[in-house]
Amino acid sequence: MSLSREEVIHIAKLARLELSDNEIERYQQQLSSILEYADRLKELNTSQIPPTSSVLPARSRFRDDVPVESLPTDKLLKNAPQSEKDQFKVPPALEGPQ
Amino acid sequence: MTEYEAIIGLETHIQLNTTTKIFCSCKADSWFDPPNTNICPVCTGLPGALPTLNKAVVEKAVLLAKAMHANLLPLSYFARKNYFYPDLPKGYQISQYDKPIAVGGFLDMPMNPANGQSYIRHITIDNMHLEEDAGKTRNEPGRRLIDFNRCGVPLIEMVTGPDLRSADEAAQYLIRLRQLLRWLGISEADMEKAHLRCDANVSIRPKGASHLNPKTEIKNVNSIDAVKEAIGKEIERQTNEMEAGHKIETWTLEWDEDAGVLRKMRSKETEADYRYFREPDLLAIRMTDEWRNAILEGFPELPLERRARFIEDYGLPEYDAEILTGERSLSDYFETTVKTYKGDPKRVSNWIMNDILRMVNEAGKPAYELKLTPAFLAEIIQLVDSGTINTSTGKNLLGKVETSGRAPSKIVEEEGLAKVSDDSAIREVCAKIMAASPNETASYKAGKVTLIGWFVGQVMKEMRGKADPQIARKIMEEMLSQ
Ligand SMILES: [Zn+2]
Repeated sequence: MSLSREEVIHIAKLARLELSDNEIERYQQQLSSILEYADRLKELNTSQIPPTSSVLPARSRFRDDVPVESLPTDKLLKNAPQSEKDQFKVPPALEGPQ
Repeated sequence: MTEYEAIIGLETHIQLNTTTKIFCSCKADSWFDPPNTNICPVCTGLPGALPTLNKAVVEKAVLLAKAMHANLLPLSYFARKNYFYPDLPKGYQISQYDKPIAVGGFLDMPMNPANGQSYIRHITIDNMHLEEDAGKTRNEPGRRLIDFNRCGVPLIEMVTGPDLRSADEAAQYLIRLRQLLRWLGISEADMEKAHLRCDANVSIRPKGASHLNPKTEIKNVNSIDAVKEAIGKEIERQTNEMEAGHKIETWTLEWDEDAGVLRKMRSKETEADYRYFREPDLLAIRMTDEWRNAILEGFPELPLERRARFIEDYGLPEYDAEILTGERSLSDYFETTVKTYKGDPKRVSNWIMNDILRMVNEAGKPAYELKLTPAFLAEIIQLVDSGTINTSTGKNLLGKVETSGRAPSKIVEEEGLAKVSDDSAIREVCAKIMAASPNETASYKAGKVTLIGWFVGQVMKEMRGKADPQIARKIMEEMLSQ
């Protein structure tokens, strides 16, 4: 299975990544070879094996509905490249070039 | 002109009223809190932070599933819905996908159009998802400000089938859903506070056709009136387009509340682009019979069932039953009063609809918190029935009992409110009033008999309402014509 150039551009757009022509070509090859590697699983006959989504036992683990102290606002905002009025500040235009 | 019918499906997001968020122990309700004060490494997506599921979220979902006749899955899973948006700090929303908490379900909704036959609309439910809310984005000139308080607030997404046929039905569904959520005590369901959010899918087709035409999705409607108005306008627009021979395009529309118009939104990512996969940081929810039964112990009679029973058992008009079951505590109040009173339930209904409802609204608290308990109300009605007090004294007693919390019969006794049926006491007062009002007495005798109302009023005033107005009138008339 190989990825088309358009598919690589689409995936990059979903991840909000800007790629150069060189990178598009390189990732097209790299991602394709990863998919081909994963495709090797198809060589095995798995018709008798139930799909596995987790190797952990399916047992619910819960937390009681009791509040605990939250993180101080200033500590959280240390992770913000920019902030204003105790809020994260982000650019207005969020869509990349269409 | 072809006659069209609308095909409407509603996607609702219900904010659960848990104390804490769905995957962390931050306080869930931030309505009165400043930005970014109920936040922690989990809900702001800091690296290495791990979610743990709030038990109360699952319990509340089980109540809703039961009320909607949905099937709980023995094993349900969380999934990651991946997309980039600044109000989503992890870059994905933890939601459910192929194995949600419950599937299927329905609501049989009674419709009573103002001019037309009553009918039941059967509304199917596709599934119920548990998921976390995203943060809040505020637009400012040249920038956006993000508040993460709402991140991780628990939501249930519930989607109906394309079963609704008019804007009125869509609005009625939301009214019934809101009633149910409050009845179950699982959400405040206040649309203005976004506890209950609604997107509507709308298409039209010639009446009687069975195919589905392309639909549009209406977003950002945050009141029941707005849902009704927006859907009504969209049906009208699609009808005009079809009549003009145009095709309906699958747009996403945004309701502009202030302008009262629908605007086309930018195309959003399609479902495949969300790249759903099982959430590796959370285990499956195992719904055992024991746990489900424990949650459903004491599950209440539902509003529509109770409404039907009030009509059937108590012979109430549909109108009364609807109002009395509008809210759970009021309907409990009614029923407890009827059981204590043991008389005609319609009489209790009248007292509640005329007076108690007003008191509840004025006090701004549920009926069961009134000091005027169902037992006290029953006592007041009985005092009126037995002729011990008259109706207006009874009505005054409501307020007195509510203020003091004391038994009505005690107040009647202490304040001497019992009705005076002793003729001699009334005759005495009548004579006194005639002596004090020579002009009115002369006018009456000269033929102005309409003055009798004024005379009776004077008697009642003098006797502080204790006289039976009928008897007072009879005696007064008799004495004035002598
Ligand atoms: Zn948190």
